[in-house]
Amino acid sequence: MTNVGTTTDLRSVRFRREREAGWKRLEALVAQVERKGMRHLSFDEARELTSTYRQTINSLSVAREISLDHALLTYLENLAARAYLVIYAPQASIGSLITKLLVSGIPHAFRRSVPVLTIGFGLMIIGALIGFALVSGDSTWFYTFVPGELAGDRGPGASRAALETSLFGQDTLHQNALAAFAAYLISHNTQVAILCFALGVFWTLPTAFLTFYNGTILGAFVAVFAEKGLGYEVFGWLSIHGVTEISAICVAAAGGAQLGLAMLLPGEMTRKDALRVRGRDATKLLILAAIMLFAAGILEGFLRQLVQSTELRLLIGWGAGALWLCWLLFSGRGAKG
Amino acid sequence: MSRKPQKSAAEFNRDHLKREQKKMLLITPPEGVPLLFRRASLGARLGAQLLDLLITYGSLLLLAFLVTYLSWASWFSETTEALFAILAFLVRAPYYILTELVWNGRTIGKRIVKIRVISVNGRRLDPHQVVVRNLMKEAEVFLPIMLVIGVMTSSGWVKLAMAVWLLFVFAVPLFSRQNQRLGDMIAGTCVVEQPKIALAKELTERTHVATEKFVFEPHHLEHYGRFELQSLERILRDPARSQAAYDRDKEVARTIAKKIGFTDRIADMEASEFLSSFYGAQRASLESGQIFGDVREDKLHGKNGKSW
Repeated sequence: MTNVGTTTDLRSVRFRREREAGWKRLEALVAQVERKGMRHLSFDEARELTSTYRQTINSLSVAREISLDHALLTYLENLAARAYLVIYAPQASIGSLITKLLVSGIPHAFRRSVPVLTIGFGLMIIGALIGFALVSGDSTWFYTFVPGELAGDRGPGASRAALETSLFGQDTLHQNALAAFAAYLISHNTQVAILCFALGVFWTLPTAFLTFYNGTILGAFVAVFAEKGLGYEVFGWLSIHGVTEISAICVAAAGGAQLGLAMLLPGEMTRKDALRVRGRDATKLLILAAIMLFAAGILEGFLRQLVQSTELRLLIGWGAGALWLCWLLFSGRGAKG
Repeated sequence: MSRKPQKSAAEFNRDHLKREQKKMLLITPPEGVPLLFRRASLGARLGAQLLDLLITYGSLLLLAFLVTYLSWASWFSETTEALFAILAFLVRAPYYILTELVWNGRTIGKRIVKIRVISVNGRRLDPHQVVVRNLMKEAEVFLPIMLVIGVMTSSGWVKLAMAVWLLFVFAVPLFSRQNQRLGDMIAGTCVVEQPKIALAKELTERTHVATEKFVFEPHHLEHYGRFELQSLERILRDPARSQAAYDRDKEVARTIAKKIGFTDRIADMEASEFLSSFYGAQRASLESGQIFGDVREDKLHGKNGKSW
């Protein structure tokens, strides 16, 4: 007896010979799915896919124990990983995902987020009140709050007539409604909303500051108009898209606050886990904010300069607000989250 | 003054193994057998990202060029401009989210580079994860870049702050454990490579003919362990048939013969034959040892793997 068994007796060789057909079959099926998608599999093929996948996973775990053949092992690792990705692929179509998000996902997240929404809306309102009070008392405060490019010719020094034109006159810059809409998309408030959300990770502080600061800008603007006796008109002018748009900023801020609270008060979880858990609702709030900003863009682009009556502006603005609230409060009740 | 001690072979092997393991990511699917993925290199990810930018903005530019070139000049008004502004908005986060949803974690750029996003919890990639990692990309990278370039702001302080922020953002994947960027961490995802590996031939089947020529005694086969066997496997699987490969085989055969005390003459021509027949015998011996619990990781087995 010289040789330690002949090579054909190797357990690993027998192991491979017995299972190789199954692996090859799986490889072919996986390649087919990778090329054409799961939908092109027949019923039998789909069943075969899962059974050969289980066999291969089984082989892999045995091979890790017994096989000294590195090439075989890497092949099995690779095949198992590929098959895993084919089998654990998303099953819902894009359409049904979107429907689910709109019907139950977003409204549920909204209703779960009452505390942070209070933070978002609260800071905005407090900011607006303080801005209004300060500028009403001393109009030079205006320049402290409002950056020059945003103010345009609507500062405290402007005449009543000039202010009135800015409320009711035609916007000469954007004749075209679509152009106005596009300009809007990349405008100030969209950026503010994105920043309010993203910076929330830093313990909510930047979000709180930004939201509050935007509130003061808002308050300062209203104060300037109110001083000239245009308070009611400016309220209408702001309402038509502002109800939706400013709410969108507050919602984005609430999303940011979700992230910030995960950092501040992670509870029993690690901060990373807390971010992941709270991130689910935060993202939905951000998507909601994006939808609202989009809607506000349409309102601003098409309706603001078109609708000249303050009453109608108020009606459209707050009507839209009521519709948002109806959707968010009543949609998806009784459905599983 | 002490000189830095020379690395022993065992230490070298261990370090090598550690480095390799660092590049891998273990995912445990519900079946309970952990699967190994190789993390995508940062270069590949950057490449995929640049390709995606090229594809999205490239097609946008092409469209703009076509519109102007085909002399719809009258049409090229504020309306087209606005349309392009909206399209430019859509080729950002929405593009990445949609492609990664449709192709299960692969944008077009990632498909070309053959990398993909997977969920680290072993479940299927959740739409929520896709949305989060791409929205975060918007906030992490795109918005700061635009601000640094000077779109939307002219304040030097903002630009400076954003530049610092960008440095931080780009440093995160360099230092995080799984090379994740911030968005990946929050979403619980990781980008991995996915090459296709074909099943190589069974090496021992070739040794049928050679078994008679070289005969190994049990004491020949107790020197090496798994690590050396797999190094030999790599040499045997090397398809190169050059003079250099031939010389290497000769050298390796001579070293092995010396180590195991194999005294029969090995002709120069037979070096690779010797190697494959030794591979077969050594593997058989290690495997049968393994059945009885005698696992030999490398040639230092039974010596605590510490020193010679």
